[in-house]
Amino acid sequence: MNSMPSDSASMSFVDRVVVPGDHVLDLTGMANQTIKLGAGLRQDGDAISVMKAGKLRISKPNKYWVESSHKRYVPCVEDTVLGIVVDSKFDNFLVDIKAPMLGLLPVLAFEGGTRRNIPKFEIGTLLYVRVVKANNTMNPELSCMDETGKAAEFGPLKDGYMFETSTGLARMLLSSPPCPILESLGKSLSYEIAIGLNGRVWVNAASPSTVILVSNAIMNSEFLSAAQQKIMVEKLMKRLQ
Amino acid sequence: MPIMEHKSMAWRMSVNERKFIETALASDLRVDGRRPFDYRRLNIKFGREDGCSEVQLGETHVMAYVTSELVQPYRDRPNEGILAIFTDFSPMADPSFEAGRPGESAIELGRVIDRGLRESRAVDMESLCVVAGKLVWSIQVDLHIIDNGGNLVDAANVAALAALLTFQRPECTVGGDNGQDIIIHDPKVVEPLPLVIHHLPISVTFAFYNKGDIMVIDPTHKEESVMGGKMTATINSNGDVCAIQKAGGEGVMPSVVMQCIRIASVKAADITSKLKNAVEVYNTERALRKVKRHPSKMAHQVSVADITLEDKQVKDLPRHQAKMACQPYIGSSQDDEPKVDTRTSTNADGNSSGTHADAFVGGPSKWDPYPLRVGTSQVLGTLTVVKEEQVVSDDHRAVECSLDHTTTSSSGTVSVSDAMQKSNTSKSLKDAVKCLLEFFLPVTMDFWMTSVATEYWHFAVVKVIVLCAIRCLCQWLPSKLMKAL
Repeated sequence: MNSMPSDSASMSFVDRVVVPGDHVLDLTGMANQTIKLGAGLRQDGDAISVMKAGKLRISKPNKYWVESSHKRYVPCVEDTVLGIVVDSKFDNFLVDIKAPMLGLLPVLAFEGGTRRNIPKFEIGTLLYVRVVKANNTMNPELSCMDETGKAAEFGPLKDGYMFETSTGLARMLLSSPPCPILESLGKSLSYEIAIGLNGRVWVNAASPSTVILVSNAIMNSEFLSAAQQKIMVEKLMKRLQ
Repeated sequence: MPIMEHKSMAWRMSVNERKFIETALASDLRVDGRRPFDYRRLNIKFGREDGCSEVQLGETHVMAYVTSELVQPYRDRPNEGILAIFTDFSPMADPSFEAGRPGESAIELGRVIDRGLRESRAVDMESLCVVAGKLVWSIQVDLHIIDNGGNLVDAANVAALAALLTFQRPECTVGGDNGQDIIIHDPKVVEPLPLVIHHLPISVTFAFYNKGDIMVIDPTHKEESVMGGKMTATINSNGDVCAIQKAGGEGVMPSVVMQCIRIASVKAADITSKLKNAVEVYNTERALRKVKRHPSKMAHQVSVADITLEDKQVKDLPRHQAKMACQPYIGSSQDDEPKVDTRTSTNADGNSSGTHADAFVGGPSKWDPYPLRVGTSQVLGTLTVVKEEQVVSDDHRAVECSLDHTTTSSSGTVSVSDAMQKSNTSKSLKDAVKCLLEFFLPVTMDFWMTSVATEYWHFAVVKVIVLCAIRCLCQWLPSKLMKAL
């Protein structure tokens, strides 16, 4: 009985804008459940309170987080991001992921990585990595493997072009079902794309003009609705022909 | 101890970006979709004050402020004003900008813009001189970089020019009790003067890649980090080269430099026209702002003027002047001088001013500061003590100042006298009359003197007497006719 009001209370906050200080979930009636808290939420005794302004999202069955769009990135565990190698130390690569602190990528965090086959990354290499540990007092720790230890597309990205956007646009591009802009571009052009939740996007295609077209289309689509995005892509295609 | 970033490494470029920009340029493609010789969109805005401009060139954002003050001139240039350019690279513009002392690029930017304006004599320095050797105007241009999106020189140059074109400095005259004091007139009382700018030097920046083979105009921030060399050519719309700056970087062939200068002259003409359009829009809007401040009280005050002018005594004149919110205007000052001589108050000019007041719609029309004659016995007070606070309402002053405006000294005194006349103090009216007298007398005296010198003095005497007679007749006749009727 107690769980009902708290459920309805949390339901009422989901997908709505919340501000720091809001109590979105009451834990008194949820003794046997586990709840995963993502970015922007904190446990305050028996209630979950908000730390960041944004929209409260839920992913069934039990993951809650607050979503907002910024140009800076706050590292969160299990996020996949694009980083640029800044320096290499004895046991870590220093990688810039647009966070307040540099990320540390252990030299052994690769599939089949041993002291003998440490990869050589020059300064400026673009890497697709996963955030393993994120804490606001320590440098975030990264990895080029997934949880099971496989490479799973992580690692350096070759060629192509990278540009920076806001975190909101990056999340929109990563949404499923696929974002309308990526779909409509994919209907007429062939390209490959890697999206980091820190706002960095990498695009590669056969010809530079395709890359430029795709990157500019994505940058301009941030505040367009789905229909507007489709119209924009159609106009671009017409202009090409 | 967490590993913090080193400040100078705050922004990094990946290898992929670098390579891509170069390969795209090899096929004449730029990353933002422009062609190699296309400028980004130029947006020029102005602030509410004079001499304040804001320019956006794509993502680059620069603001310029122009201020003036009276200072002593340099010893080797005693009759020229001073132009100073100050740049502020705000840390919010770019992570590599640091607060405090300006860095190398800040100094270079200031120097390039300064050279374009000073060496080409775009801003007239000699018109800024007030008293040779003692007092000149010092014009300071402050450039604030708000956002560094690449190509700061061009954006800052346009901002500086836009601010200089719309800046107005206060009018100042030599006068006072001993004829030595400098009086700075309040801008609300006397229309301030714009700077004399002969031409507009526009800077155009080129970036070189691939050992000087490829060049692009107006590089963005990313293109600037990848470029091999940079060159800025400052050209005006007449095709005169005002300055060229190529500091370090890759060497380029002289033919490439000549080609850049040719392209720059075309671009400079384009930017000059955009700048002039923006300034014109701002100037008309500024003039409209002054005119618009007439509320509806205009209508009934005009009719009041019609009624009250008929039988009033001269000593009530100042009160009437205050009541008449708007007077018709005369374009030139020649009509003023004859009226100053006569001493009787009549209806004639009062009526004429009344009828003309109906036609006032905000455009220049017949203007008459003294519809009623004043006796010289009533002229008291000193000349142009303009620095004191005027109780005049903004409306009257603004209208006169904007509508009747020629740059000759005669209109200068006329506008001073307008301002005087419309105030609520009777003293100011007499001041105005006196200053008109003072203007008129020297003119006739000069005329007299030259005539004496050339031995045609008798002609001069005859002419003056005839003129006075005609004026007296003009005033007496209508009143006599009215009485007869």
